[in-house]
Amino acid sequence: MATVRAASRLLSKRVLSRAKAVPAAAVQGSRNFHFSIYGKKKSAKVSDDISTQYPVVDHEFDAVVVGAGGAGLRAAFGLSEAGFNTACVTKLFPTRSHTVAAQGGINAALGNMEEDDWRWHFYDTVKGSDWLGDQDAIHYMTEQAPAAVVELENFGMPFSRTEDGKIYQRAFGGQSLKYGKGGQAHRCCCVADRTGHSLLHTLYGRSLRYDTSYFVEYFALDLLMDDGVCKGVIALCMEDGSIHRIRAQNTIIATGGYGRTYFSCTSAHTSTGDGTAMVTRAGLPCQDLEFVQFHPTGIYGAGCLITEGCRGEGGILINSEGERFMERYAPNAKDLASRDVVSRSMTIEIREGRGVGPEKDHVHLQLHHLPPQQLASRLPGISETAMIFAGVDVTKEPIPVLPTVHYNMGGIPTNYKGQVIDHTNGKDKVVPGLYACGEAASASVHGANRLGANSLLDLVVFGRACALTITDLHKPGEKLTPLKPSAGEESVANLDKLRFANGSLRTSEIRLNMQKTMQNHAAVFRTGSVLKEGCDKMDDVYQSMENIKTFDRGIVWNTDLVESLELQNLLLNAVQTINAAEQRKESRGAHAREDFKDRVDEYDYSKPLEGQQKKTFDQHWRKHTLSYVDPKTGKVALKYRPVIDSSLNEQDCAHVPPAIRSY
Amino acid sequence: MLSSFVAKRLVTRMCQAAWRPAIAGMGSSRGYRGDAPDDSRIDLIEIPLPPWPERTDEPIDIKRRRLLYESRKRGMLENCILLSIFAKQYLNTMTYSQLQQYDRLINEPSNDWDIYYWATEAYPTPEVYQGEVMDLLKEFTKNRNHEQRLDAPSLEYLEEESKKEMPSGQEMCTEFQKEMTSRLVYVRGIIMET
Repeated sequence: MATVRAASRLLSKRVLSRAKAVPAAAVQGSRNFHFSIYGKKKSAKVSDDISTQYPVVDHEFDAVVVGAGGAGLRAAFGLSEAGFNTACVTKLFPTRSHTVAAQGGINAALGNMEEDDWRWHFYDTVKGSDWLGDQDAIHYMTEQAPAAVVELENFGMPFSRTEDGKIYQRAFGGQSLKYGKGGQAHRCCCVADRTGHSLLHTLYGRSLRYDTSYFVEYFALDLLMDDGVCKGVIALCMEDGSIHRIRAQNTIIATGGYGRTYFSCTSAHTSTGDGTAMVTRAGLPCQDLEFVQFHPTGIYGAGCLITEGCRGEGGILINSEGERFMERYAPNAKDLASRDVVSRSMTIEIREGRGVGPEKDHVHLQLHHLPPQQLASRLPGISETAMIFAGVDVTKEPIPVLPTVHYNMGGIPTNYKGQVIDHTNGKDKVVPGLYACGEAASASVHGANRLGANSLLDLVVFGRACALTITDLHKPGEKLTPLKPSAGEESVANLDKLRFANGSLRTSEIRLNMQKTMQNHAAVFRTGSVLKEGCDKMDDVYQSMENIKTFDRGIVWNTDLVESLELQNLLLNAVQTINAAEQRKESRGAHAREDFKDRVDEYDYSKPLEGQQKKTFDQHWRKHTLSYVDPKTGKVALKYRPVIDSSLNEQDCAHVPPAIRSY
Repeated sequence: MLSSFVAKRLVTRMCQAAWRPAIAGMGSSRGYRGDAPDDSRIDLIEIPLPPWPERTDEPIDIKRRRLLYESRKRGMLENCILLSIFAKQYLNTMTYSQLQQYDRLINEPSNDWDIYYWATEAYPTPEVYQGEVMDLLKEFTKNRNHEQRLDAPSLEYLEEESKKEMPSGQEMCTEFQKEMTSRLVYVRGIIMET
């Protein structure tokens, strides 16, 4: 007892937390902290039900959105505008969500630069997804795109304009006219180079006018599930270490992707798959996680994106022998071949031992053969980034680069309305009270491969779709069903366990093990034996979480604890990704296997269909993967679900039957 | 006890008059924008966000802990790496007024790219953010020692620093932890029964 008091004195001297470190019992029953009920519309009650160690504050709302990126803000704004009492829980300030990194634009068939039709956009997206996208969702997205962009403009987003005053649209990869036969389409609307920021700023600013409640710098721990119905979320307030249960009839997950499972990714350190992990822990499936998009040139280690424009200006990729190896893989296009071809070529060079560096694990992007004035004027950003993150002077040395994880096509399975679905007895079944949108969801519009500038469109359209669906099915002020007093107890127990973990492996070590395993075994180059080895190693890393060691025992602004929680989330995503990749024995879109180089559909679409026997569902791979994980053991169970091939309205827009994908 | 600033932070409402300072620098764009026309920045003027709430009575160590989290979690990778390495080097030795400057610098601007552009001196820094800390950041960004900045550092350095302050803390922690675990089990046991 005396030791504890001494400890508590020492700890409180360091003010790790305002008396949180003092156990309740040591202070003779009086509580050193109390929660004031601060300015909520409904009274927030302090409840002792979970544990006296972690007093819990309960809130009631009509809807709660987890994540305040493009999709989350659009959903929150839509709901607030419709009169719903909406809460938005976010671990970052809204304008600091990863959406701010997006500098590209939003695709929409407005037809300002040339005659355009959303059905051509629909065709491009279906083809881009390698026929794994659900055509009803793609129909919905491409048809709503012009309306969504005009709506954003009305909210105040200052899209770049042409001289005539119409929204300026530019070309982007994969967009064509007349079903691929009319040349390059110009459909990407942008706000100079800050489309992502403008989107966040506009939506956040507008949502405040409608009285949305923002829980900023709250880390969402888990969903509150009761008998298969989602009743809200439980979150940790980082400011003071309090636990908050935010109860709502409708929960929307918009937490983004999980790029951080890999050693090299272009995503910020906040992309930790929190939403997909929450859904997994709730016993629900995640869809198509094996489809991870790689961008050929990210800085080795740091992962910062080096734009394709470099190679367009004359930059070349070099291996350890100083050879311009792309000449062998793509004799015509050379370094300007399509992204997945370049990524795969780079990986093959590394695997065959011609990588550079002490571990021979990356290649070089050479720019110093270009005139310095050209570098300075046309690629100024590159010189800066290379110096800052690789310590390299591009006028003298090459930049170390590696194919880098850029986007996650997979996520929480939803229908085109944004409702989360589970697949039981061969049918899709909606999970009541739960919705998902953005990168965290898989509607699935991107299928096996995402086209550029479709992601921001996805955020806006499906964020709006979730809001519309909720508005259709519910009314503001609906009475909430009762929640068990101990709901969320396991999340708090897990939090507590992590906070006091004293094993032998640091969080950063386990994270590095996971990242290196994923990078080595489930990157661009995927073969059965390498994947299988990766699955086993990943299993070991997952088990090693039992041995985790954290050092910060406080509860206020405990970065170590938050990073450990994020690591738990990342691991759940990683095991599903690598196991699903190992099982999928074909190459489709971003999932490329050296031992199964072709797409395996129900028919062989490279030959005429007459006389062909249709393969059964079990024999072909044109299906969605659904993965479940048992969080205690890390064991992954896989199921499959058919792709939706019909559009929403066949008269209006006929579906695109599968064909061989060639550009 | 939670001060009112926390309350305000929790439920952000539109304030009437003030808006965030207009971000300077209408120079040439740095990111990839292809041939798109210039940015009118009307949204920043017409949709003002609530002013950034400066925390005046936050204890210094809590401020450091908060700024550490806020340095490591940014909108894009470049800032995540830059600011977390910067925080590792400077945060624990900053004075209170420097911490306040840093707080304003990383939390008030709404576009994370702006902080990157000011640090790399692509755009001039607005007056309100100029100062000692900005100069430190600019110098740091230049990377004169040509270090490889591969990733955000792990948090081990904090643990080592805390060990230097409190050599016997580790034992205390273990004892304390055992006590805590047994209490939690006890408390949980009670709840399970009720």
